[in-house]
Amino acid sequence: MARNPKHDILFEPIQIGPKTMKNRFYQIPHCNGFGSEKPLSQAYFRATKAEGGYAAVSTEYCSISPESDDTHRMSARLWDDEDIKNLSLMCDMLHEYDCLSAAELWYGGPHAPCMESRCVPRGPSQIPSDFEYLTYAIEADKDDIRHLQNLYVEAAKRARSAGFDIVYVYGSHSYLPQQFLTPFYNKRTDEYGGSFENRARFWRETIEQVKEAVGDDCAIAVRMSTDMFLGEAGTQLKRDCLPFVELVDHLVDVWDINLSGIAEWGEDATPSRFYAEGRALPWQAAVKEISKKPVLGVGRWTNPDAMSDAIREGKLDIIATCRPSTSDPFLPKKIEEGRLDDIRECIGCNVCISRWEIGGPPLICTQNATAGEEYRRAWHPERYTPAKNADNDVLVVGAGPAGMECAMVLGKRGMRRVHLVDANDDMGGTMRWIPQLPGLGEWARVVNYRKIQLDKLENVEFIASTSLSAKEVAEYGAEIVVVATGSYWATDGLNGASHDTIQGADASLPWQATPDQLMGEGKTLDGERILVFDNDGYFMGVSVAEMFASAGKKVTLMTPLGNVAPYMHFTLEAPNMHRRLHSLGVDIVTYHLPSRFEEGAVVATHVYDEHGHEKTWEADGVVLVSQRRSNDSLYRALKDEIGLDGLKAEGVDALYRIGDCEAPRLIADAVFSGHRLAREIDSPDPSIPLPFRRERRVVDPAFVKAERGWYAEQLAGAV
Amino acid sequence: MRVLVCVKQVRALGDEVEFTADGTDVDPDYLDAALNEWDSYATEEALCVREAHGGEVVAVTCGPKESEAALRRCLAMGADRALRVDGVESHDPLCVARALAEVVREESPDLVLCGVQSSDSVQAATGTALAGLAGLPHVAVVTKLELGTGSARVHRELEGGLLDVVDVDLPALLTIQTGINQPRYANLRAIKQAEQVEIAVRQAGDTAAGSRVRRMFVPSRGDAAEMLGGDPAEVARRIAEIVRERVA
Repeated sequence: MARNPKHDILFEPIQIGPKTMKNRFYQIPHCNGFGSEKPLSQAYFRATKAEGGYAAVSTEYCSISPESDDTHRMSARLWDDEDIKNLSLMCDMLHEYDCLSAAELWYGGPHAPCMESRCVPRGPSQIPSDFEYLTYAIEADKDDIRHLQNLYVEAAKRARSAGFDIVYVYGSHSYLPQQFLTPFYNKRTDEYGGSFENRARFWRETIEQVKEAVGDDCAIAVRMSTDMFLGEAGTQLKRDCLPFVELVDHLVDVWDINLSGIAEWGEDATPSRFYAEGRALPWQAAVKEISKKPVLGVGRWTNPDAMSDAIREGKLDIIATCRPSTSDPFLPKKIEEGRLDDIRECIGCNVCISRWEIGGPPLICTQNATAGEEYRRAWHPERYTPAKNADNDVLVVGAGPAGMECAMVLGKRGMRRVHLVDANDDMGGTMRWIPQLPGLGEWARVVNYRKIQLDKLENVEFIASTSLSAKEVAEYGAEIVVVATGSYWATDGLNGASHDTIQGADASLPWQATPDQLMGEGKTLDGERILVFDNDGYFMGVSVAEMFASAGKKVTLMTPLGNVAPYMHFTLEAPNMHRRLHSLGVDIVTYHLPSRFEEGAVVATHVYDEHGHEKTWEADGVVLVSQRRSNDSLYRALKDEIGLDGLKAEGVDALYRIGDCEAPRLIADAVFSGHRLAREIDSPDPSIPLPFRRERRVVDPAFVKAERGWYAEQLAGAV
Repeated sequence: MRVLVCVKQVRALGDEVEFTADGTDVDPDYLDAALNEWDSYATEEALCVREAHGGEVVAVTCGPKESEAALRRCLAMGADRALRVDGVESHDPLCVARALAEVVREESPDLVLCGVQSSDSVQAATGTALAGLAGLPHVAVVTKLELGTGSARVHRELEGGLLDVVDVDLPALLTIQTGINQPRYANLRAIKQAEQVEIAVRQAGDTAAGSRVRRMFVPSRGDAAEMLGGDPAEVARRIAEIVRERVA
């Protein structure tokens, strides 16, 4: 299908300094857990986006010195020539697709804990980080400032040697150059602090020096946050940012404009729970209005109409995406080919970001199970190898996220017939109702994308409103049976804090309910006072609390954890979730575990109270969000009652389980589980994941000999 | 009780459409095939009749070899026999009905069930034409069937939510509306078994001439439409203006 002419504007080339982007799609710097230490994973991850049509793709934040070491979190590094080698692989692979490569030169100042390098960062003033515990910077004197600027220059030269086309002097997210610009971080009284000109001096000089060093060969990009939402102390659009654009516009080849500081960078990487597509557009447009240079910016763009409008209306020149490019690396190509219903839209859940926030692990994606697996499992987001056992029929029982994904991938791998059977009248499993929780509407994209894909697959048939017994499964006529029956919320208070049930907890009573009952079965709770007991720690407890509070109920949210929904800290949803619960008057009770539920009351003790003093909360209704349990009765009946031999006698050669039926987990992991089984359905034992390529140093005798020599040399003369 | 179900392998459009070189049909590469949705309800109803009263269900279609897929779906659902009539060139409902009328005469069913219409041609004519040619009483757009001895009481859907309750003597022909039942699924074993069943083929006699497609094309876009933009209040204001202009 041809591209819609109204999207033509997205495919016009644009000049940025000495380089030309072939279209308007740009992958903004974002983390993936690979850095320069896992060069193949890094290169394949980025190159997949280049293959998908992106005109420019960036590294994540790329440290310029051991003084700016973000360990435990994973950044790229351009500390020395070895790093050049590792990152040049990414540049080379991007260039194969006529895609520019960008390096986001980063110095964290007080935000860099330097846990690996054990160096000490330098910064404008000596105030500990508002993002990282116990991390202070050296208050830079003028020699330190020269040293810092030289670090940028040397790293920029290394970036050029690696083959990068675009070099950033990165300030956003409260990093060094923007710290100098911002009174919140900069308390100096010398010529680098105080007035706007003084606060802008460090960044201006650094841009000048980097431009001087590599500006003939590389485009100079500046990433600036135009509002930190810190009031007068933070960077302000009109007071600081627009004057800064005017000050250095002649030095900059492309502006990368976003919002937020680092402590609440969910204002930039906006969860869909709180912000819609294109949230930063007014700020980006304000810069565009005064700059003569191209302006790019993020906005969790997935809608090509909105992207085209942003450019046509002169608010942006280049559409930058982070999460949508991970959710669908082929976003540009699909728009170009007019295949809009094939776009795997980002749902804005931010589990990708949660992995960076946790520190270390590779990113994951709810929508795209292949994200991060491009190299190590050789999974391509759009291409599938025909299954070697494609002459088999498969029955997938349960059309939740795992079952849908599995059936879709099996269909794409050409299995003869795939039947996806579900007891409900539509696909989605628990994702039929999770998107009905407050703010989670966009999460329905998980179901919608797969439904559209499944509908296109002639070898996949969806059978609705059908509950199969174990006997019916055995006699169904499939050679391969996959059980994807999901999970349910415990009805007896079983929880990971006490590893026990709770006295009086019984969701069959009219005044108690689980989320499944409330959302999936239409159960209601009478009374004005609702207590939500949450030991899950992610979105369910707070969402249910918000739902009741929004309906005017007096809600108590009780958790044995030290914080409500601690996982939402990693998804950047926590600050605004706290604000919302607070504004709705939800009573937050942390560190308390109910010892018993009685009609009208919840009795609980403080988890650190050695004497177990009890306190009572009056409650008309109780919601149990204690933990989930696999819905594995069908699987157990097939395996234990009919047995594998019994199944074989009926022609069933293989029985597998996937998703929450195996063990409850993140939606992203359930999708991955379904995808993984389908990708490996023709492996020797599909129930056991195949090993993945690990990027690690494997020592060989020559290397060991050299290193032992080096060590001995270091100790020569030591007494 | 012998129930004859007349079914059609319909063609469904995907995202894109291209026409054949002579411009009289959609290029088959751009079409998916499936059992007509209405016919799956007719098949289910026939199977329910058999389950309640005994006898057999015979599925029949007019079409080339490829259309046997629709018959195999009926067999997988539980039909006892299937029959394909070959050699009907035209898609004209009268031609198809003439070919099916020969089958009705040969099989002498107690009940003939057709879908109300096919999802690709949407003419809703074959069933009633067949009743006329086969000399059977018929009831169209049936939403409920209660079988008596020698007759049936059926509900017929009318416009505006009205219902017509009709008694009809058997043999009769009914065209079945969607929603009358919940068509059963065919499990993989039944689908595999249906693949092995021999489908009887009979050659159509003279079906006489019918209508022919002269040209198939995407209608050009008219210029009368005006898209209204803006917030709901603006859109409402503009609609009110247009109504006032047109009324004046």
